[in-house]
Amino acid sequence: MFQQLPVILLIILLGAAFIVPLLGRKREWLAFILTAAVLFALFLGAIVLLFVVRYHGPFTYQLGNWPPPWGIELLVDYLAVYVLMILGTIAFLVMAYGARDLQHEIGTNVRHWYYSLYLLLLFAMSGMALTNDLFNLFVFMEISAIASCGIISIKEERRCAEAALKYLILSTLGSGCFLLAVAMLYMVTGNLNLQYVAGGLPAALSLYPYNILIALSLIIVGLGVKAALFPLHVWLPDAHSAAPTPSSAVLSALVIKIYAVAMVKIFAVFPAELFAVVPVLEIVLILSALAAVAGSVFAMLQDDIKKMLACSSIAQIGFVFMGIGFFEGQALIGGLLHIFNHAVIKAMLFLAAGLIIYATGIRRISEFRGLGMRLPLTMSAFVVGALAMVGIPGTSGFVSKWYLALGALESGKPFYIVVILLSSLLNGVYYFPIVITAFFGSEPQPSTERRDLPLSMLVPVLLLAAATIFFGFYPRPLVELLQQVLASQGLR
Amino acid sequence: MDTVFRLGDNLYYLAAMVLFIIGFHTMLTHANLIKKLLGMNIMETAIFLFFVATGYIRGGRAPIMQVGQDHLYVNPLPSALILTGIVVAVSITAYALSLIIRLYRHYGTLDANEIALLRAREDE
Repeated sequence: MFQQLPVILLIILLGAAFIVPLLGRKREWLAFILTAAVLFALFLGAIVLLFVVRYHGPFTYQLGNWPPPWGIELLVDYLAVYVLMILGTIAFLVMAYGARDLQHEIGTNVRHWYYSLYLLLLFAMSGMALTNDLFNLFVFMEISAIASCGIISIKEERRCAEAALKYLILSTLGSGCFLLAVAMLYMVTGNLNLQYVAGGLPAALSLYPYNILIALSLIIVGLGVKAALFPLHVWLPDAHSAAPTPSSAVLSALVIKIYAVAMVKIFAVFPAELFAVVPVLEIVLILSALAAVAGSVFAMLQDDIKKMLACSSIAQIGFVFMGIGFFEGQALIGGLLHIFNHAVIKAMLFLAAGLIIYATGIRRISEFRGLGMRLPLTMSAFVVGALAMVGIPGTSGFVSKWYLALGALESGKPFYIVVILLSSLLNGVYYFPIVITAFFGSEPQPSTERRDLPLSMLVPVLLLAAATIFFGFYPRPLVELLQQVLASQGLR
Repeated sequence: MDTVFRLGDNLYYLAAMVLFIIGFHTMLTHANLIKKLLGMNIMETAIFLFFVATGYIRGGRAPIMQVGQDHLYVNPLPSALILTGIVVAVSITAYALSLIIRLYRHYGTLDANEIALLRAREDE
């Protein structure tokens, strides 16, 4: 009876994205209630799917009842369920926070459009997690690109328009590369369904090796641009810092990760012998190591709190790609686990930064003196986030780095442990001064602006902080789920 | 000689690649935002041409089945997919143009370099 659930979730998200602007014209609160309810439904649906997959195994859904080689297929496996769960949880909490925050960041006349774009973005990301079809993946990628640019440029500041345009152009470049890769794969295998492509590739590899190699490199570039993998990250700092706070949180926590997930899905299709001959995974590894170090260095140079957090995302997405670069065992578990951990931590940090800006209007880190006394709860959450980003044991950031390090040892590449340590130390260099100035700064600065923090903004931040600590001590359910992800993808 | 013939057989692919590089180059090297957008469109068109060409069979006809007649048919799937691709490209172009209009209203120029200069002056 749960066979229809994945497509129902997608339809609810898409349908609500169209209904919300209609409702919002007259009654904005109704539009918000509907948005929040739909996001909560996504969360519940993901939980139900998790149990269905756990007890009945992964299943597929054929859209329009067309069987696979012709029709589009949705595949509900452990990876899809894992990603859907992250999407539902974070999106709901961020929206709960956004209820008040958006009131001072964007105008009343466009707020219902914001909800609509937000739902559309979630629709596209859930679709990317579920789909089993290459072209369908491309379409969802484009929807997600437009929607994520939309939630940046909705703020009527000129730098938002600039950041959105830069993001849009580079992101189109990325999806262009991806579409070309899809064409190359379609040429040699005659299929778009991932399972059928996987079946056709070994035979095609001996006949048309160049097509497949070019496709593989185009996929890395295409998804790399969208996921802000190191040399292709130039759009990220502006886009993620200029956007309204809820958008920043969602963009940094979810949108860049979903492309990494897409990469895992597509890499699993290619035959393992290919990776043994062509150093594709090594290239991803090297780029990820560069990202982990360079992103931290960029972050050290920033004075704007949101820009610093955005730069730190470049380093953290490096860890996710490091797991993909090893593409086996513990390291891949670590990389995939970091998708969840970073989503929680970075969403929390962005929301905490948003709270600071909301309450005091301060954006510059150098003006943070004495903030710890004025906003104790917010800054405590920020400290938890900072500790998790550095990877102190007892926080969830440590667990994923631990698995990455174990994986690096397992694969016989201990050099990457040095990279992880170096990046963590650099993280400490720019996160701890904030904590120290906030709590131990000599005299508190005269407050420029003072607003009380509404509970609806504070609670999501505290919940995310609690999750950071909880999964730092008890990561077992997640790790077990990820072990099943690996087993079902046919990886070690 | 053999290579030349093979290129001749795959002329569509060659043309698509040339267009792709023209578009890519225009997009990355021109400072004018409208030209960047045009480059982006040329690049996308090249990809669409490439994709549609994968389904083309020389001498093939439109895939309309008729009873009792057996013809060589062109593969309709790539064309159908690219129809979606074109819709996406159009919407992205429209959106990018609207952003460019907003930038032009603010800065009074379409030159990306000048915008960067003006912005640096504003930030000071």
